[in-house]
Amino acid sequence: MALFLKRLFFFILVIIAADQLIGFCLRTLYFSQHKGQFAQTTYAVDSANQDIIIFGSSRAVRHYSPSIISKAFGKSCYNVGRDGQQIPYYAALEDVIFERRKPSMVILDINTWEFVENSSRYEKLSILLPYCRKHSELIKYIQIDNPFEKYKLFSAIYPYNSTLFIAANNKIFENKIPSDENGYDPLNKKMDDAGITFTKKILEQAKIDSEKKHPKLDSTAYALYKQFLQKCVDAHIPTFVVISPTLAPEIPNERKDKLLSITKEFPSVTFLDYSNNPNYNDHFEKFADVFHLNREGSEEFTSELISKLGKVSQQFK
Amino acid sequence: MIFNSVVFAIFYIIVTALYFILDHKYRWILLLAASCYFYMAFVPVYILILGFTIVIDYYAGIYLEKTLDPKKRKQLLFCSLAANVGVLVFFKYYNFLNTNLSILFNNFNAHNPLPYLTILLPIGLSFHTFQAMSYTIEVYRGNQKSEKHFGIYSLYVMFYPQLVAGPIERPQNILHQMHEKHEFDYGNMVDGLKQMLWGFFKKLVVADRLSIYVSSIFDHAEIHNGSSIAIACLFFSVQIYCDFSGYSDIAIGSAKTMGFDLMTNFRRPYFAKSINEFWSRWHISLSTWFRDYLYIPLGGNRVPQLTLYRNLFIVFLISGIWHGANYTFIIWGALHAVFTIIGVIITPFTKDLHLKLHINKKITDLARQLFIIVLVTFAWIFFRATSMDNAFTIIKNLKTIGQHPFLGDSISNFGHCLLAISLLFIIEYKKEYLPSKYNFFQHPNIYIRWGSLISMLALILIFGVFNGGQFIYFQF
Repeated sequence: MALFLKRLFFFILVIIAADQLIGFCLRTLYFSQHKGQFAQTTYAVDSANQDIIIFGSSRAVRHYSPSIISKAFGKSCYNVGRDGQQIPYYAALEDVIFERRKPSMVILDINTWEFVENSSRYEKLSILLPYCRKHSELIKYIQIDNPFEKYKLFSAIYPYNSTLFIAANNKIFENKIPSDENGYDPLNKKMDDAGITFTKKILEQAKIDSEKKHPKLDSTAYALYKQFLQKCVDAHIPTFVVISPTLAPEIPNERKDKLLSITKEFPSVTFLDYSNNPNYNDHFEKFADVFHLNREGSEEFTSELISKLGKVSQQFK
Repeated sequence: MIFNSVVFAIFYIIVTALYFILDHKYRWILLLAASCYFYMAFVPVYILILGFTIVIDYYAGIYLEKTLDPKKRKQLLFCSLAANVGVLVFFKYYNFLNTNLSILFNNFNAHNPLPYLTILLPIGLSFHTFQAMSYTIEVYRGNQKSEKHFGIYSLYVMFYPQLVAGPIERPQNILHQMHEKHEFDYGNMVDGLKQMLWGFFKKLVVADRLSIYVSSIFDHAEIHNGSSIAIACLFFSVQIYCDFSGYSDIAIGSAKTMGFDLMTNFRRPYFAKSINEFWSRWHISLSTWFRDYLYIPLGGNRVPQLTLYRNLFIVFLISGIWHGANYTFIIWGALHAVFTIIGVIITPFTKDLHLKLHINKKITDLARQLFIIVLVTFAWIFFRATSMDNAFTIIKNLKTIGQHPFLGDSISNFGHCLLAISLLFIIEYKKEYLPSKYNFFQHPNIYIRWGSLISMLALILIFGVFNGGQFIYFQF
C-alpha cells in the first residue's frame, strides 16, 4: 500500500501540474478572443460601463439596438444579453456591472417561461466560470444549483470545459465573424414559406403542450428577479422591464400574474408588455425564427420602445 | 447518489480507505452500511422493500437447503420468487396494468375499481430483484450453499457498486468473495481505477454529450426531418451503450479496487456480426440470467424448431417487459425476438457468405456489422421513445431523410459529439482488433503510461458534460 500511496502522491502532483499548464493555455486562448459570444460576455463582465445597460437572453441580444437607443437619449448604451441565459445570469451580471459603475438606465428583457421550474437555467451559469477567479461575487450564483461547484474551481481546466472548439473557431476565423453592434447581434433574415410552415407547426405544438402541462414555478427565479429590481431601485436607476414582441400572443397564465405582482412591488419600475401586440403577433415578416425578431422587426421595436420611454427619458435627460 | 457526482467521489474514497484500514471481520459491516447509505440517498424509505425481500430470500435459502421433500422445496422456491416478482410487479407494473384494465372496463362501459397509485419506482428494483432471485434458484438447484450469515447475504443483494444497475451477479461468483479476506493489491487498485476512468470517459465525454443532441430531437420529433432523426437514432445507439457500459465499468472498477471481481457486462457489442452475437456482448449479466433461468428451463436449443422460436420470443418479450412498463419496451423486445428468429433461420444460408459471393471476408463481416447496427438502432427507437405515438412519429419522419439536418443549438456541441464518437471508435477498435498493441494504460514506460492517463483525465475535464445527471438504466 505504501508504494501505491507514494505513486498516487506523485501522480496527483503531475495531474496538478498538467491541469495548471493546460488550464493556462485554455485561459490564454479564451481571453484572446475578440469576437463571438465569449468575447461579448468577457466585455460585459469585465468592462461594460455604459449609461444604459440592456439585460436579457438571446431575445435581448436580437431585439434591442443600442445605437438607436444611444441616438435617442444621447447616452452610451450596451446590450449585455446572452443566448440561452435567464434571470440568474442577469442577476449575477448586475452585481458585477453595478460594482464597477451604476448605469443611468436599465432595460431588462424578460420572458415568462424564465419562471417555470427548470434546473438547466442554473447549470447554464457555467459560462461564468472563467470569470470567477477575478469576480468572486459570481460564485454564489454558480453554487445555486450545485454547492460543490466552488471546489471544482480548484482545477484550472474546469472553468473552460466545453469552450475549446468555439474559442479556437473564434480565434482562427476571427476575420470571418461579423462584429456585434455594442452587444446587439440582429438576425438578418426573413422567414420563407417553408420557414413559416415550420414555425406554425412549432407554435401549434407549443400551444398543445402549454394547454396540457401545468408547469411548476421556480421560486428561486422569482427571488432573483425581485433582487434584480431591488438593486436597481436602491441605486435610483430608472428601470424598464420589457416583454419584447412574440410571434404568438401569450395567453394569460399564472407565471405572468406572479411576475406582474412582484413588479408592482416596485412602483418606480416600468413594465412594458409587447407579447400581445397586434403589430407583431402573427407578423411573420418581422421575425427571423419562432423566438426572435429579424433586423427590421427589432429596429422597428426599438424605435417604438423609445417613444414609450418618452416620459422617463425627459426626466433622464 | 450517482457515480458522476462529487458526493460519490467523497463516498468512494472514504469507503475504500476504511475498507483497507478495518480488520477483515468488520469489513462486511462497513460495506453493508455504505450500501444502505448509497441506496438511501435516492428514496430512503425504499430500503424497507429491499429489507423485506432480503429477509424472505435469506430464510428461503436456509430452509431450501434443510428440506429434502421436493414438494416443500418447490413451495419454498415459489414463495421466494413470488415475493420478489410481487414487489417488482406492484411497483413497476401496477399502474401500467391498471391503465390497461381501465381501458378494458371502458370498452364494456364499466368502471375500474382499482385506484391509480402515485408511487415512485424504487431505483434499480429490477436489478437487485433478479440478483436475489438467482440466489434462491441456485440454492434450490443445489449449485450454491445457503448463506448462513444474514449480514453477508444482505451485502450480496445490496453491494453498492452493482446495487442499482448491475452487473446482475450470480451467488457462485460473488458470495464467496464476500467471505474472503482481500489484502490490498496494487494491481487490483490500479486496474480498478483505470477501468473507472474509462467508465467516466464513456459517461461524461460520450453519453452525456450525445444526449444533448438526442434529447433535442427525440423530445420534439414532430418538427424534425428524417436526417436529424436518423442522426439522433445513431447517436442514441452510442449514447445508451456508453451510458450503461460506462456505469458497468465504474461499478466493476470500484469493486475491483477492494478486491472484488464482478462479471463482465459488455464486450463491444456494436462489433457483433449477428443479433445472437450482439446479445452475447450486450448486458451480458442479464442475457445470461435469462439464458440460465428462463431459456434453458424452457428447453433451450434442444427442442423442435417451432418451440425454439416460441422460446426465443418469450425470452425477448420478457426482457422487454423487464426494462419498463410501457408498450414501447414490449415492442423493443419483440423486435429483437423477430431479428433473432430470422437470424436463426437464415444462418445456414449466410454462413461462409464471402465464399459464396467470392469476396473478401472482411467486406462481408463489415456489411454484417453495419447491418446489425442498423437493426439494433431501429429497435432503439422504441426503447427511447416516450410513447408508441412518439415512436411512430419518429419512424414516419424518417421518410424525409436527405434534407439538411438540424445540428443542435450550437455547432460546437455537434462537433463535440463527432469528436467523442471518433475517440470512442478508435479505442474500441483497438481493443477489439489489436488487443495486444498500443496498450498505453499498461505500457511499461511510466511516461507513456502516466501521459495517457493524464490525457484521458484532461479530455474528460475539457470535453466532459458535468451536469448530465442520471444513468439511463437507473430507472429499471
